Amino acid sequence: MSTAAISVRSLRKYYGNKAAVDGVDLEVPRGSFFGFLGPNGAGKSTTIRMLTGLAPADGGEIEILGLPMPRQELEIKKRIGLVPDESLLFDRLTGAEFLEFVGRMYGLERRTAIGRARDLMDLLQLANGRKIIGEYSKGMRKRVAMAASLIHHPELFLMDEPFEGVDAVGARLMKDILTDQVRRGATIFLTTHVLEVVERLCDRVAIINEGRIVKAGALEELRAGGESLEDAFVRIVGANQDVERLEWL
Amino acid sequence: MAVTAAILRAQLLSMRVGANRRGAILSLITGTVWYGMWTAAACVAFFALSIAEPGQLRQWIPLGLLGVTVYWQAMPILSATMGASLDLRKLRIYPAPHGKLFYVEVLLRLTTGAEMLILLAAGTAALFRNPFTRGWYAPLPAAVFILFNLLLASGTRSLLERLLSRRRVREVLIFLLFMVWMVPRFFLLQGEGTANLHGWDRAVADLFWPWSAAAYAALGVRVAPALLYLAGWSCLAAWFGRGQFERSMRWDLTAAEATPADGRATRARAVIDALFRLPGRIWRDPLAAIVEKELRSLARTPRYRMVFVMGFSFGLMVWLPLVIGARAEKHTALSHHFLTLVCVYALTLLGQVSYWNCFGFDRSAAQIYFLAPQSLRAILLGKNIASLAYIYLETAILIAITSLFRLRFGGAAIAETLCVVGVCALYMLAMGNVSSVQYPRGLSPTRVSQGGASSRFQALVFLLYPLGLIPVGLAYLARYALDSTLAFYVALAGAAAIGAMVYWIAMDSAVSAAMVRRERLIGDLSAAEGPVSAD
Repeated sequence: MSTAAISVRSLRKYYGNKAAVDGVDLEVPRGSFFGFLGPNGAGKSTTIRMLTGLAPADGGEIEILGLPMPRQELEIKKRIGLVPDESLLFDRLTGAEFLEFVGRMYGLERRTAIGRARDLMDLLQLANGRKIIGEYSKGMRKRVAMAASLIHHPELFLMDEPFEGVDAVGARLMKDILTDQVRRGATIFLTTHVLEVVERLCDRVAIINEGRIVKAGALEELRAGGESLEDAFVRIVGANQDVERLEWL
Repeated sequence: MAVTAAILRAQLLSMRVGANRRGAILSLITGTVWYGMWTAAACVAFFALSIAEPGQLRQWIPLGLLGVTVYWQAMPILSATMGASLDLRKLRIYPAPHGKLFYVEVLLRLTTGAEMLILLAAGTAALFRNPFTRGWYAPLPAAVFILFNLLLASGTRSLLERLLSRRRVREVLIFLLFMVWMVPRFFLLQGEGTANLHGWDRAVADLFWPWSAAAYAALGVRVAPALLYLAGWSCLAAWFGRGQFERSMRWDLTAAEATPADGRATRARAVIDALFRLPGRIWRDPLAAIVEKELRSLARTPRYRMVFVMGFSFGLMVWLPLVIGARAEKHTALSHHFLTLVCVYALTLLGQVSYWNCFGFDRSAAQIYFLAPQSLRAILLGKNIASLAYIYLETAILIAITSLFRLRFGGAAIAETLCVVGVCALYMLAMGNVSSVQYPRGLSPTRVSQGGASSRFQALVFLLYPLGLIPVGLAYLARYALDSTLAFYVALAGAAAIGAMVYWIAMDSAVSAAMVRRERLIGDLSAAEGPVSAD
């Protein structure tokens, strides 16, 4: 059995003739806080969708927590938590009702699910009222999505832009929760465009560009020569071009 | 024109065939069937008007045009599909002149009355052929009459959409519409108060009314005053339409739909919550969790609630006049099976917002069904059970309301209705599971005027229902052939057994199709619409 939380070999995904993910190899050690970076359209979300079984891969091998995907899909799903880029919230339920529903879908007893839902609502500072999710702000929706990923106490978190739209207080709270989870042995696989978050939280990083991993390793290795992560990122993805002014702008 | 062209182009690009070929093919088939029927009706109208005598023309055409107006204005409400419309929430941010947006909105009203255009074209052509009329009088009043209907429909739509968006108002409004339609008909059919209504046909054919004015002008009779009246009505409709459109532009939907801040746990709320928790006492998770989630979600979905209210109000509106009063004697078969008929009608109406597209209101959140460690079979079964629960709740309400209208049914009739509805639902849910996976489409839970299916799709569904319900029909045939209730129930049990097999086969098919095309399914449910929300 592999000791890696995520082990990916030659992963491929095509949309028509275009390769969205083109032979990705990736190793995410257990207990790590792993940043998965890349410019827009690089293949980050597609990779996460394949890792969670939402989209079938066109080639390659995926092992999650030592289990092959998709052969042991159900077992893998029980042990992972996802915060997706798109909303997976049911707009017509209240936050607490939704969390209870998710808990029960992951096999928790109803009472346990209700109790954990209440705890998570408190932890993430979500008002336990009659307000339905459809009326939540974007930041609150992200908090509920995060709470939903925590309710079954997973070993591995896959998070696609979890801090997008969240205010500073909420982001701090979420970061503290995630750091605590890693301290307790969980693995976090995170995509974000906010490089400061990666610098503060992640110990390992991989950069994907045009469907291929262009750099992977410890954070310090990437920032060789004392440059900032932003400079290193721009250099690695080859976007370091002079900005030309438009005449009319 | 640049604004109009930009909106229409954005919409056309949003509706590209390549985006959903299956949907396009289905739309083509249903469109052909639906408009084929109306073309046939238009041909009949053309031949009838071509040979009609002047007296008949003066009598028929005003009434016919009244029918056109009623259809154009009322059908979108009755069928719960108000046609394509500008999504003002998306367009409000741009500095487009409101007048231009209103112009596009008025043009979009053609989507709810395209059938009427076919009829009007046939009628106009017939006046050219009729030896007693001069056809060249007809096109101008016909065009103005169409404009009048478009403007009126635009105003009505804007007004209704705002009213129906208000919490609790929408259900009351639907019920009021039902009463406005139903009560006079009820008294008329009971023979009360009819003395005051003699000559109503002459009253509605008075030159003053827009339909009559258009008819007289088209026939070349009193052309100048008729055109004057028609122009006046059109100006009024324009004022109404534009005014309502402006109010919709300033409408704060979020505020209208917001949950009141009052968070007190009332006794009623506790009872409702206990009812929602009932599935947990009957089934185990995940089935119970899914049923509970569906029951809660649907009960809070404005669009579902509206159709639910329509199920027991409009159903009665359509069928009740046939079974009460003097006409009931002519329809003894209908009278006997009235309750069953109206309940099956409600079952079909609920289909568009539930079982035909059961992932519709979940939209992108449907991906949770593929993320959670549960089988999709349990998900579909849970959704079906919740649909069935609401179908039977609707049936119970219908039984209660019909008894209010002095139509008391015995226990046998109620038992028969419950059994027939159950068997019919089995076939509908089986077909619905397949269609939900093959033709998924995200639905806005708050946009009450958006249809789960277009009127054309509903038409096809109404054509397919008889096919799907043949086993239930055979049970009735057995009753009449053998004159035995026992034979009916034996045949119905057979239909239920076949239905169960069909349901399981359809379930297997839907589950395997969903697993194969899960990515596409989620994509279709998450797809955002263009600047025009099509029905």
